[in-house]
Amino acid sequence: MGKFLLLAFRNVFRNRRRTIMTLIMVGGGVAGLLLVGGFFARMFWGLRESTINDGLGHIQIFTAEHFNREEKHVLDTGIENWRQVAASVSRGGHVRGVAPRIEFNGMLSNGIKSGVFMGSAVDPVAEESLGFSPRLSTGRDLDTNSRGEVEALIGVGVARSMSVRVGDGLTILAVTADGALNGIDVQIVGIVNTGYKEVDDRYLRITLPAAQRLLQSDRVTNLVVGLDKTENTDMVAAQLAPRLNGMAQQLVLKKWIDLATYYKQVRSLFSTIFVFLGVIVFFMVLMSSVNTLLMTMFERTREIGTMLAMGTPRSWIMALFVLEATLLGVMGAIVGVVGGNLLGALLNVSGIHLPPPPGTTVPMAFKVLHVPSLMIGSSILVIVSLALAAILPAIRASRLQIAEALAHV
Amino acid sequence: MNDLAEMDRIPQLVCVDAVTRRFPLDHSFVSALDNVTMCVEPGEFLAIAGPSGSGKSTLLNLIGCIDKPTSGRIVIEGVDTSTLNATRMTALRREKIGFVFQTFNLIPVFTAAENVEFPLLVQGLSSGERRERVAAALESVGLSTRANHRPDLLSGGERQRVAVARAIVHRPALVLADEPTANLDTRNATQLIDLMHDLNRRIGLTFIFSTHDQRLLEHTDRIVRLTDGQIVSDTLTAESANEGASHGQVLASRV
Repeated sequence: MGKFLLLAFRNVFRNRRRTIMTLIMVGGGVAGLLLVGGFFARMFWGLRESTINDGLGHIQIFTAEHFNREEKHVLDTGIENWRQVAASVSRGGHVRGVAPRIEFNGMLSNGIKSGVFMGSAVDPVAEESLGFSPRLSTGRDLDTNSRGEVEALIGVGVARSMSVRVGDGLTILAVTADGALNGIDVQIVGIVNTGYKEVDDRYLRITLPAAQRLLQSDRVTNLVVGLDKTENTDMVAAQLAPRLNGMAQQLVLKKWIDLATYYKQVRSLFSTIFVFLGVIVFFMVLMSSVNTLLMTMFERTREIGTMLAMGTPRSWIMALFVLEATLLGVMGAIVGVVGGNLLGALLNVSGIHLPPPPGTTVPMAFKVLHVPSLMIGSSILVIVSLALAAILPAIRASRLQIAEALAHV
Repeated sequence: MNDLAEMDRIPQLVCVDAVTRRFPLDHSFVSALDNVTMCVEPGEFLAIAGPSGSGKSTLLNLIGCIDKPTSGRIVIEGVDTSTLNATRMTALRREKIGFVFQTFNLIPVFTAAENVEFPLLVQGLSSGERRERVAAALESVGLSTRANHRPDLLSGGERQRVAVARAIVHRPALVLADEPTANLDTRNATQLIDLMHDLNRRIGLTFIFSTHDQRLLEHTDRIVRLTDGQIVSDTLTAESANEGASHGQVLASRV
């Protein structure tokens, strides 16, 4: 077997120029996949972290009822003893903090014109401790210790629609937990631009105590848990789940991936594009390699005839060709992985920026992640591709008529 | 068939029995061999001579089991090769036959020793046994010192001696050589002829070769002459007579 492998290895380098061209082609395919895949991975990572840090958090805790039925009254599926739950969760390892939230909606008015809002009530200190900060276009964030009027952040669409600016006032109306209509006056301290028009047209944020006063309830909709690292999400979720079982209300936790619908859609779309690219590379390598390997087979016709004349089983000839192609694939993969990583590292320090993605104004840095699973996957792809490319030449070689092969010029 | 029956009394290594080989050409057939019958005893040093296109290589290919006759049969050591399937035919070639080609046909990426080792590798011998046999084979062709050279670093004569070593290393019953001296200069051709003759005399190895080379024909025991696919003469030579006609039977001219 060792000699057979040696023969295959030496045959690979018999025509150096052709081998180098093949290695460049195979390596280029692998490097291309690594660069594109690495860029996508970096993009996924960036989107994941921004999704989490924009307020989604790593884990969110709800009551089980929140998902089982529609609310009959405001917050009737909310968490009652949320302070106790938050304290319990905060004691766990890897937890940076817990932020309570109320999601509610209602109407707002500037005295002349009315509109609807989708509001969230937050504890600004807890939010800040988790690194969640609204994307302010003007003004400032909410202040918990404000002694004056109730502060509010509104979206740019709301501000435009209501013709208000920072420092102006609005009245917001909502249905209380008892079903009554309640209203409070708020002062606009900041205007937020999330980058999504649908959100900015209805965005309202006030402090948690103000919302509880408006809604006449001490409950919260959910608790947002921030962790030290996203990679710890599964572990912490597994640790928290049994602890939540001991609470008075039946609580459930949702990991960020369960709630990040947009992230999942983007990932799915780009993953499909990547698979498509992988298929293209696979067939590119396959088709060009078939041609190269067929040429190799024709050039070695007399040698194959000699080997067959000496009693070499035809299956050995087939195996030899497949082995040579596989070796070529392995070497091409090594060239591609090394080249792709070097090129990726070069791009990472080059400072190249791409135009801002849709909905954003900041140019995106062209960064490439070095993903081991991608390296393994791309390598396997080209190795399999080359091994498959060898099948036709291998079959033809193994079926040569010996006398004709020996007479081949 | 009477000739064959007569020869059956002697243990034969190869018997070619009324063999015809036709090849398709356009919409007809061309006969490369036409009803050829001959036998070869163990230990013979036999030349198949004849002009180009007379069927020499075709006959060697058929005896070497790398081609099949259109009709007739080839018997090697009592085994009718027409009854063998492809696998057994391959095994027969692997174990019983050694080949020497006009263009050497060495594997260019292997060293001389590795080329000689190849038939043993195919036979599945252990590495220790392979090493011993390769060393002995290279020794017998006088190339021990060139064992680690690749074919492109060897002269034509050396390459052909490596090919001979490769043909004998697995101890075959028969070595077939197709125009073995055609690509060699006089000095190398003479050395090769001496080498094959020596192997024939020393270890009784049977050689059948096709050749035009008069130098080679002068050393043979027996010459079978072909013309247009038919045997026109089958004679024992003076060389054979001088050495006492080891076959024990005089094969007179058949035509």
